[in-house]
This record gives sequence, structure tokens and C-alpha cells, in this order.
Amino acid sequence: MIKWLRSESFTAWAFMTPGLLLLAVFVFWPIIYSIPLALTDYSVISDTHFVGLDNFEAAFKDRNFLISIWNSLLYVLIVPFLQIFSILMAVLVNSRIPGIKIFRTTYYIPVVTSMVAVALIWSWLLGNNSVVNYLLIQVGLISKDIHWLSDSNLALYVLMFITMWKGLGYYMMLYLAGLQNIPQDLYEAARVDGASRWRLIVHITLPLLKPYVLFCTLISLMSAIRVFDEVYVLTKGGPGTATLTSSLYIFQKGMEQFNFGYASALGLIVGAMIAVLSIIVFRFNRKGGVNPY
Amino acid sequence: MMNLQNDKMLRSSLPKKESSRIMRSLGRVIRMTVMYVLLVLLALFLMGPFLWLLSVSLMPGRNIFSTPPAIFPTFIDFDNYVQVWQFMDFPKYMLNTVIITVLGVVLNVVLASLTGYPLAVFRFKGKNVVFTLLIATMIIPSYTAFIVHYLTIQGLHLGNTYMGVVLPGAVSVFNIFLMRQTFIHIPADVRDSGKMDGASEFRIWWQLVLPLVKPALAVISLLEAMSFWNSFLWPIVILNDTELYPLAAALTYLNGQFAYNFGWIAAGTMISVLPIIILFLFTQRYYMEGLAGAVKG
Repeated sequence: MIKWLRSESFTAWAFMTPGLLLLAVFVFWPIIYSIPLALTDYSVISDTHFVGLDNFEAAFKDRNFLISIWNSLLYVLIVPFLQIFSILMAVLVNSRIPGIKIFRTTYYIPVVTSMVAVALIWSWLLGNNSVVNYLLIQVGLISKDIHWLSDSNLALYVLMFITMWKGLGYYMMLYLAGLQNIPQDLYEAARVDGASRWRLIVHITLPLLKPYVLFCTLISLMSAIRVFDEVYVLTKGGPGTATLTSSLYIFQKGMEQFNFGYASALGLIVGAMIAVLSIIVFRFNRKGGVNPY
Repeated sequence: MMNLQNDKMLRSSLPKKESSRIMRSLGRVIRMTVMYVLLVLLALFLMGPFLWLLSVSLMPGRNIFSTPPAIFPTFIDFDNYVQVWQFMDFPKYMLNTVIITVLGVVLNVVLASLTGYPLAVFRFKGKNVVFTLLIATMIIPSYTAFIVHYLTIQGLHLGNTYMGVVLPGAVSVFNIFLMRQTFIHIPADVRDSGKMDGASEFRIWWQLVLPLVKPALAVISLLEAMSFWNSFLWPIVILNDTELYPLAAALTYLNGQFAYNFGWIAAGTMISVLPIIILFLFTQRYYMEGLAGAVKG
């Protein structure tokens, strides 16, 4: 016993206990507990009954739920754009010209500000008679006001634009870190061999940036499917169900209608979909044989 | 960086002819100009909306939805700030936000570096189990965690308290992995030398290892500071007492109350975003350094 107390095992577990305890309560437990919860009609207000798979059956007949899943999948369309633009930005700011640090910092400011503030600014900018419409009319691109956030064909794409605007700086910084991690002597060696700048990019920069691309793609994919804040603050899912995403719908069912059982069932369905999606990405990742360092 | 080195290489390999030097410096000027134009355009795109908000906040009584819309300030007046500051108890909300943010950041930094450390340096039974569990939570994210969190927080009688706001986000698998990746790159000599001097594992961690991973700690601190400072929904769910609201939550209340007093809302929003922007400006150097180290692993 005393021997064990001095062992590395004991020390290791002593270090990890506080963290693992909290993880157990706030990460593992929610995943486990939502399964039995999904089989009941638990709602805080009235008595709880075991309802079997009723919630799941109802979910697949729930038109709004299916729409919300479709909208969440559409949201994933921002991933490639977000990645391409942020890589280009990273390449642009990866230089040592005077003032470059000020620009990098500037580009990161949308990332650090709250979605409440960002949503407010954009809802004003995009309003009728407001700046964006005014400028577009002045330039001659449009002839009359566009109802950016209240047109059901446009609203979701406008939200996607705002998400992208807020996220560009974040991914730019990650890619910049990636670019600066590439050993400079690789470039020098290639240049001595007479490689052109284009070949340097294709044969050195891109392959070495690949792990970053996969990492960033994975996290932006996850956050695109889970998108919540911008939808909640700007449109609350409207007009109609045009911007209803799955996390917003689950939140409405859970925290607004206190239908905890049904919301848990919806959460499990979406969770299972994400799990499949991320396993595919992980597999793809392994097949790519990414191990450059 | 690449461009500059390229130029240096070229310069040393070419004969020093006056005409070609002028041509090259001309090319350089053009390339620099194009770069600066692109940089400025991007800055306008990403900063413009904030500058516009600033300009709205400085023009009391202007309706932003008038034609033509007010884009640039035609006059500057701090009345909005004075009035909104008197109307809303900003120091109180700011203090609430600071308490929540500090609690959240400290818990995250301490717990992530405590939990990540053994996973990087110790050999112990059950390591693989812990690893698998952690990775599993990244693949199977809980969509309805907030429901169970709500029940747990009520069950622990932490409703309407800051602990209830902070605890569900006090430790994250992402941060644990980030710390683990960082600890792995610390040379084993550091721990060995500590052991030679008879230091306990805890003291080695606290006094020898942690100072070496400051950049990673800065990354976690900044990211968590951002997310706690900006959180609005969970605090609203947990806190019944609006007096306890953090800024972002209080701001949604202000928006609801004075939908048409644009100047006030703009001023209130500016007040709420400035602290976190300032924090970022001061920590960004460490943040960049830490980010570079963290993603590499």
C-alpha cells in the first residue's frame, strides 16, 4: 500500500482526479444520462413516464426537426470557403513588412468579440435603408433594398456569411502558426536546386500545411453543425423555419418548452449523425498518412 | 518572409547593373503596394463594422436607418456613453463578468494542466483507458448536455450562483489535449533534475515545468477568457437574479428595452467589447507563440 502511494501511478491519478471528476459530471454523465432521459416524457412540470421509443418515432415525423437537420447540413457549406479564405489570409500576413502585426491583430478582433455584439452590428448594417443596402445601391449592384435577414431564401446564407466573417481571423492565426512552423532551410535547399516559387508552394508549403488543414476542417465542421449563437441572437430560426438549425430546435424543445425527454432524443439522433461524420473524417485523415513532423 | 529572402538571393546572384536595380526596386514597390492595398481592404472588411458602431455611438440622436444612413460621424459627442453609463449599472455588470471570467479561466488552466501532465510524462495503469474515454467524448459530442447540466446544477443547489455558471465549462477535453501536447515536448531532463534535488512531483510540475509552458497557458487563458466573457445564454438559464448577469446577458436586455435608442445600445456594446479586445492586445504575443507550439504535435 505504502509502496503504491509512492508510485507513479498514484501520483498520476492524484494529478488527474479533480479534472476527471468534473469531466465525469459535466462531460461523460450528460452523454450517458441523455439515453434514459430520451426514453421518457420528462418535462419538470408534470409526472414522468417511460415511453419507450416514442420520442424517436415522433422525431422522424417531426417536419421542423427534419428541416432543422437539413439547415445544419447546409451550414457545413461554409467550411471550404472559410478554409480557403483563411489560408489565403495567412499567406498574405506571413511576411515581415512593417505594420504587419497590426494587421494580424486587426483581423482577429471579430474573433474575440461576443456574438451578441457582432449580431447587433450586422443586424443594423443589414437593415432596410441601412449601410449595406445603401452602399450596394450607390455602387449600382442592386436597385432596391434587399431584406437580408427577413427573406427566407437569403437569411440562412446571410447567417453563414456572418459566421464566416467572425471566424476568418481564428483560422488565419492557426494557418499562420502552421506556415511559420515550416523549416526555412527546406525552402532554401529547394531554391538552391532551382525550384520556382510555384513549385515551392506545391511541394513544400501545401504538404506541410496539410495537418493544419485537416485539424481546421474538423473543428470548423463541428462548429458549423452545432451553430447556435448567431441564429439564436439574429433570427431565432426565422423567418418561418428558414434558419432553424438543429441545435436551436433542440434548445427550443428543451429550455423553452421544457420537453427534456424529447429534446434528449433529438440530441441523440444528431449526436449519432455527427459521430458517423467525424469517424469518416478521422478515417480519411489516417488514409492521407499525415505525419510530416 | 519568403519574398524578402527571395530578393536577397536574387540580389546576390545578379550582376550589379544600375538599370536592373531600378527595375527590381520598382517591382518591389509595386508588390509592396499591392500587399498593403489588400491588407487595408481586409482590415476595412473585418474592422469596418466596429468602426461604424463606434461612429454610431458617438452621434447621439442620429437614426441609423435614415436615408442616407449615417456612416461617418459628422460630430462627436460622448453623451451616449454618459447616459447609458448612468442608466445601466456598468461597474456592477462588469464586476459580475470579471468574476465569472476569472473563475472560468483559473479553473480551466489549473485543471487542464493538472490533467494533461500525467498523460504526457507518467507511466501508469489505466492511461490508455483515460485516453480512449477522452477521445470518445470528442467524437460523440453531447448535443443536449445543457439539459443534464441544468439538472445537475439544480441538484447541487448551485442554481443562481457563479459556480453554477462556471462549473460546466471548467474543464475541457480540448484544453487537456492541448496541455498534453505541450508537456510532451518538455525535455525529460527537467523532471530528472528536479528529482535529483529531491523535489516532489507536484513541486516539479509547479515550479519547473509550468514556467516552461506559459505560451500554452496563455492560449487556454485567452480562449477561455473570450468564451466566458462573451457567454450570455447559459448565465441567463442559470441566474434567476438579473443583478448577477454578466455584460453580454445584460446587453441583450438593453437591446430589448431600447430597440430604437441606437446610440445607447452602440455605446453599451462598445463598453462591453473593449475590455476583451484590450486583453487580447496585451496577450496576443504569447498567444501566437503558444498556438504555434500547440498545433504542431
